[in-house]
Amino acid sequence: MVDTQSLALVLAEPFMQRALVGGLLTGALGGLLGSVAVLRELSFFSDALGHSALLGITLGILIGVNPTLVLIPFAVVFAILVNQLVERSSLPTDALLNIVYSTSLAAAILFLSLVETYRGGIRQLLFGDILGVSTLDLIVIGLLLAAALIYLSLSMRAQVLLTLNQDLAGAVGVQTRWHRLAFIVLLAVVVAVSIKAVGVLLISAFVVIPACAGRLLCRRFPVYVCVSAALGGSCALLGLLASGVTNLPSGPSVVMVQFLGFLAAMILSSGIFRRRQRPVAESLTITSSD
Amino acid sequence: MHSPVLVVNDLSVERSGRLAVEKVSFELPSESETAVVGPNGAGKSTLVAAILGLLPRSTGDVQILGQPLSDNGNLPGEIRSQIAYVPQSLALQGRFPLSVAEFVGFGFDPPGPRWPWRDRRERQSAIEQALDRTGCIDLRNRLLSELSGGQLKRVMLSFCVVRPRQLLVLDEAQAGLDVPSNERFQQLLLQLRRQEGWTVLHVSHDLDMVRRSSDQVLGLNRRLCCSGSPDHTLTPERLIDLYGPNVVPYRHQCHG
Repeated sequence: MVDTQSLALVLAEPFMQRALVGGLLTGALGGLLGSVAVLRELSFFSDALGHSALLGITLGILIGVNPTLVLIPFAVVFAILVNQLVERSSLPTDALLNIVYSTSLAAAILFLSLVETYRGGIRQLLFGDILGVSTLDLIVIGLLLAAALIYLSLSMRAQVLLTLNQDLAGAVGVQTRWHRLAFIVLLAVVVAVSIKAVGVLLISAFVVIPACAGRLLCRRFPVYVCVSAALGGSCALLGLLASGVTNLPSGPSVVMVQFLGFLAAMILSSGIFRRRQRPVAESLTITSSD
Repeated sequence: MHSPVLVVNDLSVERSGRLAVEKVSFELPSESETAVVGPNGAGKSTLVAAILGLLPRSTGDVQILGQPLSDNGNLPGEIRSQIAYVPQSLALQGRFPLSVAEFVGFGFDPPGPRWPWRDRRERQSAIEQALDRTGCIDLRNRLLSELSGGQLKRVMLSFCVVRPRQLLVLDEAQAGLDVPSNERFQQLLLQLRRQEGWTVLHVSHDLDMVRRSSDQVLGLNRRLCCSGSPDHTLTPERLIDLYGPNVVPYRHQCHG
């Protein structure tokens, strides 16, 4: 039975307060970058990055360095290499990414089985441990959120035109290679930083679900980006609160709340379309011959 | 006498290990319209992409408004902002949360980083004028992904006309349009070209339209097979040279 007293007790714990702030920031970050990633059909790329992160962590353990320190450079190098592979190969992108992520996951599990002391931690890596988020983690995620916000605000034209047509973007002066690479590196860093809280298996949900919900609801690009970030943050907060009071695992709880948010967006968007499309269609019969 | 807006000299472009464009040279006089015609796989889109700096050149030089295109395809920002481009299509699968007015606004913004709230009033006024001139003002709040093919192409012209430019490049912009939409697009393009003083380079398969609207025609099949006025280049003999012996060219008497 959930009551306000148990909720208050949970909220009074410092680790829970850090977890809530961490969830809010990670969720917002996922929604923010997810808004562009989903339009650019990079959802599967974020999934592959998440799975490869496990390999990065494993390599850190094997060479005796703190896995968190290894993870960010590993994810960036990995993302650049995969991007090069996708650009140069004639094979379909989804097939290539499937090869990359299943191979890196298999390699990580094989390496992990060699490390006696880490066998018990595999569950944490797969599903995340938001309750273990430190103050330093919060500072890093907060700085990353600020950097992502500034970059996306300054490069909104480049991001949109690059998504719509790469040649159009290049023709009107967008540095297409630079922006493609910058976004992929940013996505890799965000995935690497969020892995600890969210886990390898669920990280793509943080990127994809709030953005898809936002896409259903919004008709203007900046609003879409903000709504995706807000949905990501609020769903993470609600999911963590639900997890705290019901004692269920935190990562899966957040994803279930995100899914409920997505369902609500689907229902709301169908209603919005019915209201808005009628007058536009009527005016078109007078003004357009197309 | 105006200097040419575009000068292409001895341009060759390699794609997938073979020369897709070989030793092509031509000039676009100011305020003229030039059509690039040729069969599928002739290198027309590759030529356009190399001219715009989107593909690396194997040999040759390109000058736009007197400025040479650098080896890595860069141009000074003030020259780049004089170029408009209309591609065949936009990637609008599913629901794309971008309104027509927002898209046209991105045509107003100069290259480089920019805060979204800069020049807000001037930008809004330019968007309204551009949409009005292309007959798209009623579409301003529609999503780009909700438009028909004809509407989308006219909105792309709004994107081009939202700020003054000199060079307009169209890569099979009429692909997929039905006859009335194509006709409307052509009329609008002609009207805007005259008003704006655009120099136009367009890739097209519509030889009837090319004959009617172009000052110069470039017949491309990897190499430049023929060039000159439409009457000089679009003759049955030259078309058979360009497209092969299975082509049976005919001419509408009403245009003859």
